Amino acid sequence: MGVEGKTYPAVTSVIEPDRVAAFAKAIGADPADGVPPTYAAVYSLGATAPQLFGDPEAEVDFGKLLHADQEFEWQRHPAAGETVTSQGRVVSDISRRGMRFLTYETNTTTVDGSAVCRSRTLFVIRS
Amino acid sequence: MKRAERVVTFTVEQITAYAEPSGDHNPIHADADFARSVGLPGIIAHGMLQMSILGCVAVEVAGGGAHLRRLYCRFSGMVEPGDTVTFTAEDAGAGKLALSAVNQRGEPVLTKASAEYL
Repeated sequence: MGVEGKTYPAVTSVIEPDRVAAFAKAIGADPADGVPPTYAAVYSLGATAPQLFGDPEAEVDFGKLLHADQEFEWQRHPAAGETVTSQGRVVSDISRRGMRFLTYETNTTTVDGSAVCRSRTLFVIRS
Repeated sequence: MKRAERVVTFTVEQITAYAEPSGDHNPIHADADFARSVGLPGIIAHGMLQMSILGCVAVEVAGGGAHLRRLYCRFSGMVEPGDTVTFTAEDAGAGKLALSAVNQRGEPVLTKASAEYL
């Protein structure tokens, strides 16, 4: 169904210290404690979700999009200043009773390929 | 058992402060007229902002961010500016944490939440 199985090109991004500090402050974490684990919302999910949202074939209506659930699994937490590579993939794309359920997975590694984080998101698109 | 709790009253300022570094600029978190046009009561907090605060209490019990290995939650309730949410994490043994996020009316806003740590 839909774009199930579609994989997007890998995206390389730098864990920017200033952005990490602003993120930490906004969530009530101490910026001195380093990169908050949920900064994966930026370097993993956030780095690759725009590819899905901007894909004409995926036809995601941003205004009707809900973030329904989220899982992060870390093998290692990246440090500020580090460069990581993330690749997004549509695990499933199911329409049921006018609602669309998109499961999107992003795999983040270091530039030399060792595992960092896996993000798994359920998006629900209301009709 | 080790436990951590954080009580947060959400504000427009905090939601705006999260939008910028998170890169999540969905107008439902910034523009009240747009939010109402898609059937919401007004702007709502990002699910990831809520999950990140939950992550903070999880990290506290886990003994530091580096120890966290997994974090999961379902975004079950809307959080609007002015809502007060109590986030808790409790050591459930065997490397697992039990997590919750409940608003001022006693309604869970994040459900099925759990974490694992090393």
